[in-house]
Amino acid sequence: MGMTARDVMDHEFYTLLPQTTIAEALRIFKKACEEQNQIVFGMVVANESGQLLGMVSMYDIFLLLRPKYAHIWGEMKDLDLSGIIDEAFRRTKSMQVGDIMNAGVLTITPDTHLLMIIDVMIRQRIRHLPVVEQGEMVGMVYLHKVFRHLLDRLA
Amino acid sequence: MPRTLSNSLTVKKAMHRQVVHQPRLASLEQAIRYMIKYKIDEVLIVNELLEAIGVVTKTDLMGAYYADLPINTPLQEVMTLPLFCHMNDPLDLALDTMRTQRIHRLYVWDETPNLAVGVLGYTDIVGLIYSCCSNCDKSILKSKGGSGKTLADQFRNREVMTPGVYAYRVNDSLLKLIEDLAAHAFEALLIRGENDYPVGVVSKTDLIIAYRHGIPLESEAQTIMTQPVQTSDQNDFLANALRKMIFFDLQYLFIFKGSPSNIVGVLSLTDVAQFRSGTCRACASSRIKI
Repeated sequence: MGMTARDVMDHEFYTLLPQTTIAEALRIFKKACEEQNQIVFGMVVANESGQLLGMVSMYDIFLLLRPKYAHIWGEMKDLDLSGIIDEAFRRTKSMQVGDIMNAGVLTITPDTHLLMIIDVMIRQRIRHLPVVEQGEMVGMVYLHKVFRHLLDRLA
Repeated sequence: MPRTLSNSLTVKKAMHRQVVHQPRLASLEQAIRYMIKYKIDEVLIVNELLEAIGVVTKTDLMGAYYADLPINTPLQEVMTLPLFCHMNDPLDLALDTMRTQRIHRLYVWDETPNLAVGVLGYTDIVGLIYSCCSNCDKSILKSKGGSGKTLADQFRNREVMTPGVYAYRVNDSLLKLIEDLAAHAFEALLIRGENDYPVGVVSKTDLIIAYRHGIPLESEAQTIMTQPVQTSDQNDFLANALRKMIFFDLQYLFIFKGSPSNIVGVLSLTDVAQFRSGTCRACASSRIKI
């Protein structure tokens, strides 16, 4: 049983363009979750030529939806908040993925050792790492798949 | 010095602990992304030891847009010095610094100077004061027998708003808007269309997004304005205006008289929260002045 990124990476992954709207990105997230039958926590952002530009995570979308003054209105018990989530979505849906993505994404190669991957994921608090070979993205390594791979080897 | 709510509370009670920072060589574009995502008005610039060496605000980014700086310019090219207060400082002292320096927030240090452990903004302060006042036994609402209504249910927008408003045309250039936002220290500008009807608002956030999207400065206001304009009648209850600002995640509402086309003032969330929390004898003397 191999112990490198090559052995655990997914070869199929979803890619967003930087100009993709948040509304469209949410549709793609939903589709990805349904197709993979699991929660997809993040997606790669790349330009038309496939050059990796960044990543967008579920957390980035939560941040965008979070009300600016939640810490104040939490105290104001007389406020009627029905419909506030729809309004938050209305405000953000036309924004672009490139407006909120995390640029400067860490990458690994297919030959990166699993223990090195675990170290990077723990230190950087990330759940997924793009795998790049000769400048081209060839796969994605997910934290839970690394764990599953180790379970098969060790348990 | 009389004992007031704001000098009996410390910065530690009011500050929030999420400090968004970037290294000096990060790009202006990266700062814009963080401001949009975290809904903040500035990013702290730190060195390798996470010590603060600068701050970049939306106004700085607007200036970079105006000066036509490339979006990948390092933040160190536009940063200014950040201002700090100590975690145990009285709120009054921090407020004095904010007033005299004309800034809306201070970074907070604890054991190591220049190592930010939190941020203190006006909204943090008014949120805390609101919380204290709503639980205060000396509140005039409780002393009047507790009608179940809040202070904001008893006041009208016209009593709290700032009268007067600058308005611009849909075909005014972004260049002109930036010049006036900077000159008058406004947060946002009202845009009028045909028949002088208010059709949109351009804020600093709209402008830094336009910068990131590469929209030319000669473009018209209507290309980036946010619609619709959120308004409230000057005779409406303050409570309704407050609900509207919270609901739409806005810092301000435009106030009209008679018809929404007749804008007569601006009401900010900070004004409202201060008014709500500073209108009874228990804390009137501590009402925040900006």
